[in-house]
Amino acid sequence: MNKFYFVAFAVVFLAALIGLATYYTMRARRSAGATWEGLLTRLVWVDRERIAAIALDAVGESGEPRSDEEAFHLDSSTIWTLLGGLEGLEALEQNCGVLIELAAYLQRWHPEALPVAEQLRLSAREIEWHVGRLKGAAQTGKLQPAFGDYAQRAVVTYYLMTRHVLELYDRAGFAGLAELQRAL
Amino acid sequence: MELLSFDRFAWAVSFFGHIALLLLLTMRGRARSFPLFTTYIASNIAKTVILYFILHDRPGDYSSAYWSMGVLDEALQFLVLLELALHVFRPTGVWAPDVWKTFAGLACASVIVALPLTWMAAPRSATLGRAFVLRGNFFSAALLSELFVAMLALSAVAGLPWKTHVARIAQGLGVYSMVCVAIDIVSRYLGNDDHAYKVLSHIRIGTYLACEGYWIVTLWQEAPAPRELPESMLTQIYALQRQVEYDLAKIRDWRRF
Repeated sequence: MNKFYFVAFAVVFLAALIGLATYYTMRARRSAGATWEGLLTRLVWVDRERIAAIALDAVGESGEPRSDEEAFHLDSSTIWTLLGGLEGLEALEQNCGVLIELAAYLQRWHPEALPVAEQLRLSAREIEWHVGRLKGAAQTGKLQPAFGDYAQRAVVTYYLMTRHVLELYDRAGFAGLAELQRAL
Repeated sequence: MELLSFDRFAWAVSFFGHIALLLLLTMRGRARSFPLFTTYIASNIAKTVILYFILHDRPGDYSSAYWSMGVLDEALQFLVLLELALHVFRPTGVWAPDVWKTFAGLACASVIVALPLTWMAAPRSATLGRAFVLRGNFFSAALLSELFVAMLALSAVAGLPWKTHVARIAQGLGVYSMVCVAIDIVSRYLGNDDHAYKVLSHIRIGTYLACEGYWIVTLWQEAPAPRELPESMLTQIYALQRQVEYDLAKIRDWRRF
Protein backbone atom coordinates (compact mmCIF):
# COMPACT_ATOMS: atom_id res chain seq x y z
CA MET A 1 0.00 0.00 0.00
CA ASN A 2 2.84 2.33 0.95
CA LYS A 3 4.46 1.60 -2.40
CA PHE A 4 1.26 2.49 -4.23
CA TYR A 5 0.92 5.83 -2.39
CA PHE A 6 4.56 6.68 -2.94
CA VAL A 7 4.39 5.97 -6.69
CA ALA A 8 1.11 7.88 -7.05
CA PHE A 9 2.34 10.95 -5.14
CA ALA A 10 5.75 10.90 -6.76
CA VAL A 11 4.29 10.66 -10.28
CA VAL A 12 2.00 13.65 -9.60
CA PHE A 13 4.94 15.52 -8.08
CA LEU A 14 7.19 14.84 -11.07
CA ALA A 15 4.47 15.62 -13.62
CA ALA A 16 3.83 18.95 -11.88
CA LEU A 17 7.54 19.79 -11.92
CA ILE A 18 7.89 18.89 -15.60
CA GLY A 19 4.76 20.89 -16.47
CA LEU A 20 5.95 23.96 -14.57
CA ALA A 21 9.48 23.69 -15.94
CA THR A 22 8.14 23.45 -19.51
CA TYR A 23 5.77 26.39 -19.04
CA TYR A 24 8.37 28.71 -17.50
CA THR A 25 11.09 27.64 -19.95
CA MET A 26 8.79 28.51 -22.87
CA ARG A 27 7.92 31.81 -21.20
CA ALA A 28 11.61 32.64 -20.68
CA ARG A 29 12.37 31.71 -24.30
CA ARG A 30 9.59 33.97 -25.56
CA SER A 31 10.93 36.76 -23.41
CA ALA A 32 14.53 36.18 -24.55
CA GLY A 33 13.48 36.23 -28.20
CA ALA A 34 11.34 39.36 -27.82
CA THR A 35 12.17 42.42 -29.87
CA TRP A 36 11.66 46.00 -28.80
CA GLU A 37 8.86 46.42 -31.35
CA GLY A 38 7.27 43.14 -30.28
CA LEU A 39 7.17 44.25 -26.65
CA LEU A 40 5.59 47.58 -27.61
CA THR A 41 2.74 45.85 -29.41
CA ARG A 42 1.84 44.15 -26.12
CA LEU A 43 1.27 47.44 -24.30
CA VAL A 44 -2.37 48.20 -23.60
CA TRP A 45 -3.60 51.71 -24.28
CA VAL A 46 -4.29 53.78 -21.16
CA ASP A 47 -5.62 57.33 -21.01
CA ARG A 48 -2.49 59.23 -20.04
CA GLU A 49 -4.38 62.45 -19.30
CA ARG A 50 -6.50 60.70 -16.70
CA ILE A 51 -3.44 59.00 -15.25
CA ALA A 52 -1.76 62.41 -15.05
CA ALA A 53 -4.83 63.89 -13.35
CA ILE A 54 -4.71 61.24 -10.61
CA ALA A 55 -0.94 61.47 -10.21
CA LEU A 56 -0.78 65.28 -10.21
CA ASP A 57 -3.35 65.36 -7.43
CA ALA A 58 -0.65 63.84 -5.21
CA VAL A 59 2.64 65.06 -6.68
CA GLY A 60 3.80 68.16 -8.50
CA GLU A 61 5.23 68.28 -12.03
CA SER A 62 8.67 67.71 -10.55
CA GLY A 63 7.52 64.51 -8.82
CA GLU A 64 7.70 66.05 -5.33
CA PRO A 65 4.72 65.22 -3.08
CA ARG A 66 2.34 68.18 -2.90
CA SER A 67 1.76 69.84 0.44
CA ASP A 68 -0.61 72.62 -0.66
CA GLU A 69 -4.28 72.72 0.28
CA GLU A 70 -5.41 71.49 -3.12
CA ALA A 71 -3.40 68.26 -2.78
CA PHE A 72 -5.22 64.92 -2.35
CA HIS A 73 -8.39 66.55 -3.44
CA LEU A 74 -9.64 63.50 -5.42
CA ASP A 75 -11.75 61.05 -3.50
CA SER A 76 -11.75 57.29 -4.00
CA SER A 77 -14.78 57.21 -6.29
CA THR A 78 -13.33 59.92 -8.58
CA ILE A 79 -10.03 58.03 -8.76
CA TRP A 80 -11.96 54.84 -9.50
CA THR A 81 -13.85 56.55 -12.36
CA LEU A 82 -10.77 58.26 -13.80
CA LEU A 83 -8.86 55.01 -13.69
CA GLY A 84 -11.60 53.13 -15.50
CA GLY A 85 -12.38 50.76 -12.63
CA LEU A 86 -10.97 47.27 -12.44
CA GLU A 87 -10.34 47.23 -16.21
CA GLY A 88 -8.17 50.31 -15.86
CA LEU A 89 -6.23 48.64 -13.07
CA GLU A 90 -5.75 45.53 -15.18
CA ALA A 91 -4.45 47.66 -18.07
CA LEU A 92 -1.90 49.21 -15.71
CA GLU A 93 -0.96 45.75 -14.48
CA GLN A 94 -0.47 44.45 -18.00
CA ASN A 95 1.66 47.45 -18.95
CA CYS A 96 3.75 46.87 -15.85
CA GLY A 97 4.34 43.31 -17.03
CA VAL A 98 5.59 44.71 -20.34
CA LEU A 99 7.75 47.30 -18.56
CA ILE A 100 9.30 44.47 -16.54
CA GLU A 101 10.11 42.75 -19.83
CA LEU A 102 11.49 45.99 -21.26
CA ALA A 103 13.77 46.18 -18.21
CA ALA A 104 14.80 42.55 -18.80
CA TYR A 105 15.48 43.41 -22.46
CA LEU A 106 17.72 46.27 -21.37
CA GLN A 107 19.45 44.02 -18.84
CA ARG A 108 19.98 41.27 -21.42
CA TRP A 109 21.31 43.37 -24.27
CA HIS A 110 22.84 46.36 -22.51
CA PRO A 111 24.47 45.00 -19.33
CA GLU A 112 26.17 48.33 -18.71
CA ALA A 113 22.69 49.77 -18.08
CA LEU A 114 22.01 47.12 -15.44
CA PRO A 115 21.39 49.47 -12.47
CA VAL A 116 18.70 51.42 -14.28
CA ALA A 117 17.12 48.30 -15.73
CA GLU A 118 16.94 46.88 -12.22
CA GLN A 119 15.42 50.08 -10.87
CA LEU A 120 12.78 50.11 -13.61
CA ARG A 121 12.00 46.48 -12.96
CA LEU A 122 11.60 47.10 -9.23
CA SER A 123 9.31 50.08 -9.87
CA ALA A 124 7.12 48.06 -12.21
CA ARG A 125 7.01 45.23 -9.67
CA GLU A 126 6.02 47.69 -6.97
CA ILE A 127 3.07 48.94 -9.04
CA GLU A 128 2.12 45.33 -9.73
CA TRP A 129 2.13 44.77 -5.98
CA HIS A 130 -0.17 47.76 -5.32
CA VAL A 131 -2.52 46.67 -8.11
CA GLY A 132 -2.49 43.12 -6.75
CA ARG A 133 -3.55 44.43 -3.32
CA LEU A 134 -6.39 46.38 -4.92
CA LYS A 135 -7.60 43.42 -6.95
CA GLY A 136 -7.49 41.27 -3.83
CA ALA A 137 -9.49 43.91 -1.94
CA ALA A 138 -12.02 44.07 -4.80
CA GLN A 139 -12.46 40.30 -4.70
CA THR A 140 -13.10 40.30 -0.96
CA GLY A 141 -15.44 43.31 -1.14
CA LYS A 142 -13.07 45.53 0.88
CA LEU A 143 -12.06 47.81 -1.95
CA GLN A 144 -13.21 51.13 -0.50
CA PRO A 145 -10.86 51.46 2.50
CA ALA A 146 -7.80 50.36 0.50
CA PHE A 147 -8.53 51.94 -2.83
CA GLY A 148 -7.63 55.62 -2.36
CA ASP A 149 -4.18 54.96 -0.96
CA TYR A 150 -3.05 51.99 -3.05
CA ALA A 151 -4.57 53.15 -6.33
CA GLN A 152 -3.15 56.66 -6.18
CA ARG A 153 0.23 55.35 -5.08
CA ALA A 154 0.26 52.87 -7.95
CA VAL A 155 -0.78 55.54 -10.44
CA VAL A 156 1.81 58.06 -9.21
CA THR A 157 4.56 55.43 -9.48
CA TYR A 158 3.35 54.43 -12.94
CA TYR A 159 3.04 58.04 -14.10
CA LEU A 160 6.50 59.11 -12.95
CA MET A 161 8.21 55.97 -14.16
CA THR A 162 6.66 56.02 -17.62
CA ARG A 163 7.39 59.74 -17.90
CA HIS A 164 11.06 59.10 -17.20
CA VAL A 165 11.13 56.22 -19.69
CA LEU A 166 9.57 58.42 -22.36
CA GLU A 167 12.08 61.21 -21.63
CA LEU A 168 14.93 58.75 -21.89
CA TYR A 169 13.78 57.40 -25.22
CA ASP A 170 13.13 60.91 -26.49
CA ARG A 171 16.63 62.08 -25.55
CA ALA A 172 18.27 58.96 -26.93
CA GLY A 173 16.34 59.14 -30.17
CA PHE A 174 15.33 55.49 -29.92
CA ALA A 175 13.01 54.18 -32.58
CA GLY A 176 9.48 53.48 -31.45
CA LEU A 177 9.05 56.57 -29.26
CA ALA A 178 5.75 57.54 -30.90
CA GLU A 179 4.29 54.05 -30.31
CA LEU A 180 5.53 54.10 -26.74
CA GLN A 181 3.93 57.51 -26.09
CA ARG A 182 0.65 56.30 -27.51
CA ALA A 183 0.63 53.18 -25.39
CA LEU A 184 1.92 54.48 -22.07
CA MET B 1 33.34 -5.89 -7.33
CA GLU B 2 32.91 -6.71 -11.01
CA LEU B 3 32.22 -3.86 -13.35
CA LEU B 4 30.21 -4.36 -16.52
CA SER B 5 31.64 -3.24 -19.83
CA PHE B 6 29.10 -0.38 -19.98
CA ASP B 7 30.21 0.79 -16.54
CA ARG B 8 33.85 0.81 -17.66
CA PHE B 9 32.96 2.69 -20.81
CA ALA B 10 30.83 5.22 -18.88
CA TRP B 11 33.55 5.63 -16.27
CA ALA B 12 36.14 6.45 -18.94
CA VAL B 13 33.85 8.78 -20.88
CA SER B 14 32.79 10.58 -17.70
CA PHE B 15 36.39 10.93 -16.52
CA PHE B 16 37.74 12.35 -19.77
CA GLY B 17 34.59 14.46 -20.16
CA HIS B 18 35.20 16.02 -16.74
CA ILE B 19 38.83 16.71 -17.62
CA ALA B 20 37.74 18.38 -20.88
CA LEU B 21 35.15 20.40 -18.98
CA LEU B 22 37.66 21.50 -16.33
CA LEU B 23 40.17 22.57 -19.01
CA LEU B 24 37.43 24.42 -20.85
CA LEU B 25 36.22 26.22 -17.69
CA THR B 26 39.77 27.29 -16.91
CA MET B 27 40.92 28.23 -20.39
CA ARG B 28 37.75 30.06 -21.44
CA GLY B 29 37.68 32.01 -18.16
CA ARG B 30 34.40 30.50 -16.98
CA ALA B 31 35.95 29.28 -13.71
CA ARG B 32 36.02 32.89 -12.44
CA SER B 33 32.26 33.20 -12.87
CA PHE B 34 31.45 29.68 -11.68
CA PRO B 35 33.98 28.69 -8.98
CA LEU B 36 31.59 26.23 -7.31
CA PHE B 37 30.66 24.53 -10.57
CA THR B 38 34.38 24.27 -11.37
CA THR B 39 34.97 22.75 -7.91
CA TYR B 40 32.15 20.28 -8.56
CA ILE B 41 33.74 19.18 -11.84
CA ALA B 42 37.22 18.97 -10.25
CA SER B 43 35.80 16.90 -7.38
CA ASN B 44 34.31 14.47 -9.89
CA ILE B 45 37.75 13.95 -11.43
CA ALA B 46 39.28 13.40 -7.98
CA LYS B 47 36.45 11.04 -7.05
CA THR B 48 36.99 8.93 -10.19
CA VAL B 49 40.74 8.63 -9.53
CA ILE B 50 40.26 7.74 -5.85
CA LEU B 51 37.57 5.15 -6.63
CA TYR B 52 39.80 3.65 -9.33
CA PHE B 53 42.59 3.00 -6.82
CA ILE B 54 40.17 1.72 -4.19
CA LEU B 55 38.70 -0.71 -6.73
CA HIS B 56 42.15 -2.07 -7.55
CA ASP B 57 43.76 -2.07 -4.12
CA ARG B 58 40.84 -2.52 -1.68
CA PRO B 59 37.84 -3.74 -3.68
CA GLY B 60 35.99 -4.62 -0.47
CA ASP B 61 35.79 -0.93 0.44
CA TYR B 62 34.63 0.20 -2.97
CA SER B 63 30.92 0.19 -2.23
CA SER B 64 31.13 2.23 1.00
CA ALA B 65 33.61 4.66 -0.59
CA TYR B 66 31.30 5.09 -3.60
CA TRP B 67 28.26 5.92 -1.48
CA SER B 68 30.21 8.19 0.88
CA MET B 69 31.51 10.23 -2.02
CA GLY B 70 27.98 10.46 -3.35
CA VAL B 71 27.13 12.59 -0.30
CA LEU B 72 29.89 15.07 -1.16
CA ASP B 73 28.72 15.04 -4.77
CA GLU B 74 25.20 16.01 -3.76
CA ALA B 75 26.33 18.70 -1.34
CA LEU B 76 28.32 20.26 -4.18
CA GLN B 77 25.31 20.09 -6.51
CA PHE B 78 23.35 22.20 -4.00
CA LEU B 79 26.19 24.68 -3.82
CA VAL B 80 26.25 24.89 -7.63
CA LEU B 81 22.53 25.63 -7.65
CA LEU B 82 23.07 28.32 -5.02
CA GLU B 83 25.82 29.80 -7.19
CA LEU B 84 23.42 29.93 -10.13
CA ALA B 85 20.72 31.52 -7.95
CA LEU B 86 23.20 34.21 -6.93
CA HIS B 87 23.88 34.96 -10.61
CA VAL B 88 20.18 35.27 -11.42
CA PHE B 89 18.77 36.94 -8.32
CA ARG B 90 21.61 39.34 -7.55
CA PRO B 91 21.81 41.22 -10.87
CA THR B 92 23.54 44.24 -9.32
CA GLY B 93 25.61 42.32 -6.78
CA VAL B 94 23.02 42.39 -3.99
CA TRP B 95 19.88 40.28 -3.65
CA ALA B 96 16.99 41.81 -5.59
CA PRO B 97 14.73 42.97 -2.73
CA ASP B 98 11.55 41.68 -4.36
CA VAL B 99 12.76 38.09 -4.74
CA TRP B 100 14.78 37.32 -1.61
CA LYS B 101 11.86 36.44 0.67
CA THR B 102 9.99 34.57 -2.05
CA PHE B 103 13.09 32.54 -2.90
CA ALA B 104 13.64 31.66 0.77
CA GLY B 105 9.95 30.73 1.06
CA LEU B 106 10.09 28.55 -2.05
CA ALA B 107 13.23 26.81 -0.76
CA CYS B 108 11.48 26.04 2.56
CA ALA B 109 8.34 24.84 0.73
CA SER B 110 10.53 22.61 -1.47
CA VAL B 111 12.04 20.97 1.63
CA ILE B 112 8.56 20.51 3.12
CA VAL B 113 7.36 18.75 -0.05
CA ALA B 114 10.50 16.65 -0.54
CA LEU B 115 10.64 15.34 3.06
CA PRO B 116 7.37 13.33 3.17
CA LEU B 117 8.03 11.98 -0.32
CA THR B 118 11.45 10.80 0.83
CA TRP B 119 9.93 9.29 3.96
CA MET B 120 7.49 7.32 1.78
CA ALA B 121 10.23 6.13 -0.58
CA ALA B 122 11.51 2.92 0.97
CA PRO B 123 14.45 2.04 -1.29
CA ARG B 124 15.50 -1.50 -2.07
CA SER B 125 18.60 -2.20 -0.04
CA ALA B 126 20.02 -4.92 2.15
CA THR B 127 21.76 -2.61 4.62
CA LEU B 128 20.50 0.24 6.75
CA GLY B 129 23.41 2.51 5.80
CA ARG B 130 22.87 2.07 2.10
CA ALA B 131 19.12 2.57 2.47
CA PHE B 132 19.89 5.85 4.25
CA VAL B 133 22.15 6.97 1.40
CA LEU B 134 19.53 5.96 -1.20
CA ARG B 135 16.88 7.96 0.63
CA GLY B 136 19.34 10.85 0.77
CA ASN B 137 19.87 10.56 -2.98
CA PHE B 138 16.15 10.68 -3.60
CA PHE B 139 15.69 13.67 -1.27
CA SER B 140 18.55 15.48 -2.92
CA ALA B 141 17.27 14.81 -6.47
CA ALA B 142 13.71 15.84 -5.55
CA LEU B 143 14.87 19.00 -3.80
CA LEU B 144 17.25 19.98 -6.60
CA SER B 145 14.44 19.49 -9.15
CA GLU B 146 12.08 21.63 -7.08
CA LEU B 147 14.64 24.39 -6.57
CA PHE B 148 15.45 24.39 -10.28
CA VAL B 149 11.76 24.83 -11.18
CA ALA B 150 11.32 27.43 -8.40
CA MET B 151 14.23 29.43 -9.84
CA LEU B 152 12.77 29.22 -13.33
CA ALA B 153 9.36 30.38 -12.14
CA LEU B 154 10.58 33.15 -9.87
CA SER B 155 12.95 34.61 -12.45
CA ALA B 156 10.21 34.57 -15.11
CA VAL B 157 7.68 36.29 -12.82
CA ALA B 158 10.19 38.85 -11.53
CA GLY B 159 11.59 39.56 -15.01
CA LEU B 160 15.17 38.60 -14.19
CA PRO B 161 16.83 37.12 -17.28
CA TRP B 162 19.31 34.24 -17.08
CA LYS B 163 22.73 34.72 -18.59
CA THR B 164 23.46 32.12 -21.26
CA HIS B 165 25.97 30.00 -19.35
CA VAL B 166 24.00 30.16 -16.10
CA ALA B 167 20.96 28.81 -17.95
CA ARG B 168 22.95 26.00 -19.59
CA ILE B 169 24.49 24.76 -16.33
CA ALA B 170 21.10 24.93 -14.59
CA GLN B 171 19.34 23.08 -17.41
CA GLY B 172 21.87 20.24 -17.26
CA LEU B 173 21.60 19.94 -13.48
CA GLY B 174 17.80 20.32 -13.47
CA VAL B 175 17.17 17.71 -16.17
CA TYR B 176 19.57 15.25 -14.53
CA SER B 177 17.85 15.68 -11.14
CA MET B 178 14.41 15.12 -12.65
CA VAL B 179 15.59 12.00 -14.47
CA CYS B 180 17.01 10.72 -11.14
CA VAL B 181 13.60 11.28 -9.48
CA ALA B 182 11.86 9.43 -12.35
CA ILE B 183 14.33 6.54 -12.08
CA ASP B 184 13.77 6.28 -8.32
CA ILE B 185 10.01 6.16 -8.86
CA VAL B 186 10.29 3.39 -11.48
CA SER B 187 12.80 1.50 -9.36
CA ARG B 188 10.46 1.60 -6.36
CA TYR B 189 7.55 0.51 -8.56
CA LEU B 190 9.43 -2.47 -10.01
CA GLY B 191 10.71 -3.64 -6.61
CA ASN B 192 13.52 -6.20 -6.36
CA ASP B 193 14.23 -6.72 -10.04
CA ASP B 194 18.01 -6.78 -10.53
CA HIS B 195 17.90 -6.58 -14.30
CA ALA B 196 15.57 -3.57 -14.25
CA TYR B 197 17.77 -1.92 -11.59
CA LYS B 198 20.82 -2.25 -13.87
CA VAL B 199 18.95 -0.85 -16.87
CA LEU B 200 17.71 2.10 -14.79
CA SER B 201 21.20 2.67 -13.46
CA HIS B 202 22.52 2.77 -17.03
CA ILE B 203 19.83 5.27 -18.00
CA ARG B 204 20.89 7.50 -15.11
CA ILE B 205 24.56 7.27 -16.09
CA GLY B 206 23.69 7.87 -19.76
CA THR B 207 21.70 10.96 -18.80
CA TYR B 208 24.60 12.33 -16.80
CA LEU B 209 26.97 11.73 -19.72
CA ALA B 210 24.54 13.56 -22.02
CA CYS B 211 24.46 16.49 -19.57
CA GLU B 212 28.24 16.50 -19.44
CA GLY B 213 28.38 16.66 -23.24
CA TYR B 214 25.79 19.45 -23.21
CA TRP B 215 27.89 21.45 -20.73
CA ILE B 216 31.05 20.93 -22.80
CA VAL B 217 29.40 22.16 -26.01
CA THR B 218 27.43 25.06 -24.51
CA LEU B 219 30.14 26.33 -22.18
CA TRP B 220 32.64 26.26 -25.01
CA GLN B 221 30.44 28.62 -27.01
CA GLU B 222 30.52 32.31 -26.19
CA ALA B 223 27.38 34.02 -24.93
CA PRO B 224 25.70 36.39 -27.43
CA ALA B 225 27.61 39.68 -27.46
CA PRO B 226 25.87 42.58 -25.69
CA ARG B 227 24.91 45.59 -27.77
CA GLU B 228 26.91 48.72 -27.09
CA LEU B 229 25.38 51.89 -25.75
CA PRO B 230 26.96 55.26 -26.52
CA GLU B 231 28.60 57.00 -23.53
CA SER B 232 26.11 59.89 -23.59
CA MET B 233 23.22 57.45 -23.48
CA LEU B 234 24.77 55.65 -20.54
CA THR B 235 25.05 58.94 -18.62
CA GLN B 236 21.39 59.65 -19.31
CA ILE B 237 20.41 56.18 -18.16
CA TYR B 238 22.21 56.68 -14.86
CA ALA B 239 20.49 60.06 -14.45
CA LEU B 240 17.17 58.32 -15.05
CA GLN B 241 17.99 55.69 -12.45
CA ARG B 242 18.75 58.35 -9.82
CA GLN B 243 15.54 60.16 -10.66
CA VAL B 244 13.36 57.03 -10.46
CA GLU B 245 15.02 55.99 -7.20
CA TYR B 246 14.40 59.45 -5.73
CA ASP B 247 10.75 59.45 -6.86
CA LEU B 248 10.12 56.03 -5.40
CA ALA B 249 11.61 56.97 -2.04
CA LYS B 250 9.24 59.95 -1.91
CA ILE B 251 6.21 57.91 -2.99
CA ARG B 252 6.90 55.21 -0.40
CA ASP B 253 6.96 57.87 2.32
CA TRP B 254 3.86 59.84 1.51
CA ARG B 255 0.54 59.21 3.14
CA ARG B 256 -2.71 60.12 1.47
CA PHE B 257 -4.68 60.74 4.60
